[in-house]
Amino acid sequence: MHSMYSGINISQTDARPMYLQIMEQIRARVAAGDWPSGKELPSIRALAAALSVSVITVKRAYLDLENDGVIVTRHGKGSFVADINGLAGELQEEKLDEHLTAVAALGQQLGLSEEELATRLRRAIRNVDKK
Amino acid sequence: MTQTKHIEMRNVRKAFRFFTLEDLSLDLEPGQIMGLVGPNGAGKSTTIRLLTGLLAPDAGEVRVLGHVMPDNQAVAKRDIGFVSDEMRLFGHATLEWHMQFIASIYAGWDEQYARTLVKRFNLHAKQNVSGLSSGEHVKAVLLLALARRPRLLILDEPTSGLDPVARHELLSEFMDVLRDEDRSILFSSHNTVDVERISDRIAFIDRGRLIDSSDKEDFLERWRRIQLQLPAGAAMPELPHVVSRVQDGQFVTLTTNQYSPDLISFLGAGVREVQRMSLEEIFVANVMHHRELRGS
Amino acid sequence: MNMLTRKLIAKDFYLNRWLLVGTTVAGLVALLIAAEGEMRFKIGMITWLTAIVAFGVVLATFAIANERKERTLQFVLSLPLSHGDYVRIKVIGLMLCFLAPWAVLSAGAVALVAIMPNLPDGMLPIIVLLCGFMLANYAVVLCSALHTASEGLMTLVIIVTNMGITLFMFLILGLPELREQLMAPVPVWNSTFWTVLAVEFAALLVTMSLPYFVAARRRDFI
Repeated sequence: MHSMYSGINISQTDARPMYLQIMEQIRARVAAGDWPSGKELPSIRALAAALSVSVITVKRAYLDLENDGVIVTRHGKGSFVADINGLAGELQEEKLDEHLTAVAALGQQLGLSEEELATRLRRAIRNVDKK
Repeated sequence: MTQTKHIEMRNVRKAFRFFTLEDLSLDLEPGQIMGLVGPNGAGKSTTIRLLTGLLAPDAGEVRVLGHVMPDNQAVAKRDIGFVSDEMRLFGHATLEWHMQFIASIYAGWDEQYARTLVKRFNLHAKQNVSGLSSGEHVKAVLLLALARRPRLLILDEPTSGLDPVARHELLSEFMDVLRDEDRSILFSSHNTVDVERISDRIAFIDRGRLIDSSDKEDFLERWRRIQLQLPAGAAMPELPHVVSRVQDGQFVTLTTNQYSPDLISFLGAGVREVQRMSLEEIFVANVMHHRELRGS
Repeated sequence: MNMLTRKLIAKDFYLNRWLLVGTTVAGLVALLIAAEGEMRFKIGMITWLTAIVAFGVVLATFAIANERKERTLQFVLSLPLSHGDYVRIKVIGLMLCFLAPWAVLSAGAVALVAIMPNLPDGMLPIIVLLCGFMLANYAVVLCSALHTASEGLMTLVIIVTNMGITLFMFLILGLPELREQLMAPVPVWNSTFWTVLAVEFAALLVTMSLPYFVAARRRDFI
C-alpha cells in the first residue's frame, strides 16, 4: 500500500514548499512517460496518506497541475494525466462540451440570442489569443 | 457527505485562578486534520479538556460531532478517540487485557488492525502496562484509540517522547485515518515540523486566546522574511502588514504576514532576499506580534 | 451502557483481586484463631476487625484517589460515559468489591459464635452490630473519597473513622441493654439492638446517596 508511490519523496528540509515538490515529481514522471496520458492519478486522499502529507497540500498541487494543463480533473471521477501535446484529448473534449453546455444554459437564462452568444464567444477567443 | 462540523466552539470562556481561556472559537470540518500550536500554558490542554467533556465552559458553546459538551459526552465519546500524554492505562493489567476491554465496549473495534498496530508499534500484547516505557505507553494508548476507528480523534501531544521511527509510524497511521473523508483529527503538538507536514488547518493559541487560525498552505504563503539593503541615508518606507522590523545599519529584515509579489516590486531594488518561513518561525513571529499588540 | 458498567465493575474486581482474596483469607485465619476462646478470641477478633477495616480503607483510597493520581481517571473518562455514570459505577462497583469479603467474614464471625460452644451466643447481637458498623464505616470512607481530591482530607477521614471503631466499641459496650446480654447463652435482640442497627443503616443510606446528588453533578472533573 505504501510502496506504490514510494518513489515520490517529500522533504521538509528542502527549501521548496511541499506542494511544489509534489508537482515537480509528478511533472517529471509525466515528461518521462512513466505516467502516460490518460493514466489515472491516485486520489488526493490516497496520495496524501501514502506520502504522509496533508490533504490540503496534495489538493493544491493537483490544482496547480491542472491550471498548468499537466493533469485534468473530472469531478466525481478522479484526476488523469493530460495529453502532453495540449491537443484536445478525449477528456479535454468532454470538458469542452460540458463548459459549452453550461454556457448555452447561462445564455438562455440571460435571454441572449444565439448570435449574441456567438459574439461573446468570439470576443473571449480573441482575449485568450492576446494572452 | 456529513454536513455536521466535527468540532464547533463558539466564544468559549473558562476561568481558573491564574489563567483564563477567553473568547475561543474553533471549527473542524470532517476530513480535516487540525494542529493546535501554542506555548506551554497557552491553553491547549484546557481547550482539549473542554472538547472531551472533562471541563464545562463558563460561557459559550462547545459542540463535538454535533453533541453539546459536556452534557452529552457519553453519547459523543462513542465516536471520539481521546488520547493525552497524561493518560495512564491500568498498571496491573496487560496490553492484551486492555485490548479486550476496549473491544468489548466499542462496536468499531478492528481486531486485525489492532494486531497489525501492535507489530508496527513494536509492542508486546502480553506485556504488563507497568513495564512499558513512557514512549511505549503512549503508543499503547494510541493503539487502543486507533483500532476502534473513531470518527474523531482528539490528541494531546501524541508524539511527545517518541523516537523518530515511532513518530514516522504514527504520522503514517494518522494520514491513513484521513483516507476516509468522514473522519478527522485534532491534535496539539510542540513538534511544529510534524504539524507543518500533516495539518490541513492550524490554530495558534497564546495566553488563553486564539491568535490565528487558518489553512496551513495559507500560513505558508502569507508569511515571508524579506532581507533589504537600504541605500545609504534612505529612510525605511512605512509599510502595512509588517509584523516585525529589525534594522542593523543598512540591513533591514522585515517579517510580513500578508506577502504578495506587489510588496516586493514596491520595495524595489533594495530587496536582497525573500525567504519563506517554517511553521515554527511563523508561530514564534505571530505570538510575539500578538503579544506586542496586547501590550504584554 | 450496561455492558460498560459491567466491564468497569469487573475491572475493579480484577485489579483488586489479590486484595479481596488476601483480606478474606486473613479474616478467616483470624476467626480460626478466635475459635479457641479467651485470649485467642480477643486477638483473633481484633485481627478480624482490623483486616476488614484496613481492607475498606485501602480499597476506597486505592481505587479512587490513586486512580486520579495515577491518571487512569483520564483514561476511564475517555470512555463513553458521563461524570454521573462514573460516580454511580464507582459506588456500585466498590460497594460490591467490599461486600464480597465482608459478607464472607461477617457470616464467618456469626457462624463462629453460633457454632463454638465456648463462645456464648449472647455475643451475636454485638457481632452483628459490629459488622453493620464496618459496612457503614466503609460507606463513609468511600463517600469521602468520591468527593474530595485532597489527600489531607482523606487522611483525616481515615484517622477519624479508625478512631470511630474504638469509640463505637466503647459506646456499644457502654450501653447496659447490650452489655448485660453479652454472656447470655441465647442471643437477645432487644430494642436497643434494633435502634443501633437502624442508625447504621441510615448512615449507610445517606453516605451512599450523597454521591448521586453531589459528586455526580460536578461539571468539572479535573
